[in-house]
Amino acid sequence: MSSEQQLFDETPLRRFEYDDSVVLAADVGALDDASVDVVDGTIIVVAGDEQYEQEVPEAADGRAFINNGVLTIELSDEEDSN
Amino acid sequence: MKLTVKPLKQKDAGRGLAAIDRAAMDEMDLENGDYIVLEGKQGNRAVARVWPGYPEDEAQGIVRIDGQLRQEAGVGIDDGVTVEKADVKPATNVTVALPQNLRVRGNVGPMIRNNLSGQAVTQGQTVPVSFGLGPLSSMSGQKIPLKIADTDPTGTVVVTDSTEIQVSEKPAEQIRGEEGAADRGSPDVTYEDIGGLDSELEQVREMIELPMRHPELFQQLGIEPPKGVLLHGPPGTGKTLMAKAVANEIDAYFTTISGPEIMSKYYGESEEQLREVFEEAEENSPAIVFIDEIDSIAPKRGETQGDVERRVVAQLLSLMDGLEERGQVIVIGATNRVDAIDPALRRGGRFDREIEIGVPDKEGRKEILQVHTRGMPLSEEIDLDSYAENTHGFVGADLASLTKESAMNALRRIRPELDLESEEIDAEVLEKLEISDDDVKDAMKGIEPSALREVFVEVPEVTWDSVGGLEDTKERLRETIQWPLEYGEVFESMDLDAAKGVLLYGPPGTGKTLLAKAVANEADSNFISVKGPELLNKFVGESEKGVREVFSKARENAPTVVFFDEIDSIATERGGGQTDSGVGERVVSQLLTELDGIEDMEDVVVVATTNRPDLIDSALLRPGRLDRHVHVPVPDEEARRAIFTVHTRDKPLADGVDLDSLARRTEGYVGADIEALCREASMAATREFINSVDPEDIGDSVGNVRVTMDHFEHALDEVGPSVTDETRERYAEIEKRFDTAEPDLEEEKVGRTFQ
Repeated sequence: MSSEQQLFDETPLRRFEYDDSVVLAADVGALDDASVDVVDGTIIVVAGDEQYEQEVPEAADGRAFINNGVLTIELSDEEDSN
Repeated sequence: MKLTVKPLKQKDAGRGLAAIDRAAMDEMDLENGDYIVLEGKQGNRAVARVWPGYPEDEAQGIVRIDGQLRQEAGVGIDDGVTVEKADVKPATNVTVALPQNLRVRGNVGPMIRNNLSGQAVTQGQTVPVSFGLGPLSSMSGQKIPLKIADTDPTGTVVVTDSTEIQVSEKPAEQIRGEEGAADRGSPDVTYEDIGGLDSELEQVREMIELPMRHPELFQQLGIEPPKGVLLHGPPGTGKTLMAKAVANEIDAYFTTISGPEIMSKYYGESEEQLREVFEEAEENSPAIVFIDEIDSIAPKRGETQGDVERRVVAQLLSLMDGLEERGQVIVIGATNRVDAIDPALRRGGRFDREIEIGVPDKEGRKEILQVHTRGMPLSEEIDLDSYAENTHGFVGADLASLTKESAMNALRRIRPELDLESEEIDAEVLEKLEISDDDVKDAMKGIEPSALREVFVEVPEVTWDSVGGLEDTKERLRETIQWPLEYGEVFESMDLDAAKGVLLYGPPGTGKTLLAKAVANEADSNFISVKGPELLNKFVGESEKGVREVFSKARENAPTVVFFDEIDSIATERGGGQTDSGVGERVVSQLLTELDGIEDMEDVVVVATTNRPDLIDSALLRPGRLDRHVHVPVPDEEARRAIFTVHTRDKPLADGVDLDSLARRTEGYVGADIEALCREASMAATREFINSVDPEDIGDSVGNVRVTMDHFEHALDEVGPSVTDETRERYAEIEKRFDTAEPDLEEEKVGRTFQ
């Protein structure tokens, strides 16, 4: 929760550091049929015809999902996790 | 599942989010973004989206929601709330009603939808929506209350990107929905609207919220619940705001007393009004009586002139701690002159606790900026962290005006596009409004910390680069002033105290003041400049008070550099000839105690300059006061070369100009002489140019003018060195004396007329 990066205009990407993992979260508003994917450290959000990208190098192997406008990226400290 | 309510962090507030700790989330099988229903004790329900729980809450059964949700659910902080997973339908259609005084033309639907996107709403609910700025930015909270007039499907729905937003014909005031929050004269401020005062807020809550909600705790302990809290601190730090927030959050009856209002010209009536306020509060208990600027109605009884004040104070004393039980009425007093209040008020049973609301630190400032920019359309290049870092000494009110000024700058940019004569403002224009980084930067220039207003100086645009030569001196200044701030942890681990003061001495014109200017600019601190003679006042005691005030301001706004130019004018050797009534000596004594007194000078550095160090009181020069003595010498050849470079940097020089030879030939010239020399040379070139060229062609040929070596030769004849060998010797002598040990000034008397 120490740093804050700008994601998609004015929505800040918040960082939560837990004991065993790190969670990045952003409230991006309810985009219709939005989907999110993490490819090589870049978060790609696709909503309709539009596409947003944000580089988060450490998010190379995270689980990302978007639910009612809350974008979540879970990163694990363990190497074996996907 | 039952969870405990806690406040949300400032930056997450206002979006309908609920941060639930992860253990509870797992138990309820919730994911981030799921909808949940929060149900308070009275059966009030609020819908929120799940947000990742804060790491520090792990497994403590905590749900963090903002003030708006707390109000909807009818819960307070530390209350229990039932949390359930909710099934919420996406809305196909939502009709909103705008307040009557809002005049917007065009389709505001998309803007409202963007604002509400993802939020859950119910019919009749009032949702504050940020419209950027515009005509309503003067409204409190910068948010416009929208009322949800109708939804399709009915019940609680969520606004999505495909929701149709319609604006109702009827203004919001005419729509009767079920009233969410009860209007009880409580102000509309929540804990999330206060930044940077967490520990103070915690103290206030402990003193006020606890006894009001659970008086039985105090009965069990056999003690009387607290009766009053006195908030004090510099103006604009949030004392009133805090009182308002507390009243709002515990939903207590809130009444304010403002000093002048209760005063009456009739005998006894002022006291009666005071009694009435307390009676009214008692009837509506639990209640908070807030006395703003309490020093105006409760000054020290011994010092007041009027009889009325004395009786009002006495009345207040007996009301606060009289024979009669007051019940659940708590008094909050606020003042920025805590020492002006009658001492009888400042004891247990009356104001049980005094809480100082100080000037916010960097973290606090960031939180405050977050609060104030929450509803603003900020462009993404704005880095609030860096602004928080650069606003030393700013209080909440200053930061609020900083954000407001930035917004006004943004507004000014689109002003030409506005048609002020038309009744309504185009929604498209509103949507385009965005605050850019330049807007904030411009605003920064215009705003100075309010506590420093009286003594504030515009920090000059002088950097270390503008100082030619003097490398040693610069390095030592940097060590003394910049290092303690930049490498605080190094100083801490070395158990090293930062130097308290630096004395720059040297012949006139060598750049002492310039160095101080560079320090002010580079040190990233607040800068107070004191001109010696300015402090003197014809009244006894006032001159010393001036010194005291300078230092108390400096402490309040730390880190600060206090700059005394020509300090010999106010800090001459004591015990000399008595020409005045001893004012000079008292000022020196005051200065001595301020520099090394009982009160700590945290992050306050004094920089003093003089060209007569031998005249300064020796006590001032000892370690612990002005402990570093830096000789600013007459520049040698190399330094002169550097000074020439600085002064000719932006001048168009001809190829033949040999700065090295100039430096060699200017023995005895100080920085100011060299500056004059360069100026004279350019002036000669200018003179030649203007006299030889037709005035009409000046614009075309000005680019070809060059300052040649001949011009410098001419200038060398005009400007002579200001330092003679005699002067130099004298300063060398002084330096030797300062460098060895304690200055012993008695031995050598130097004539006072010497420059």
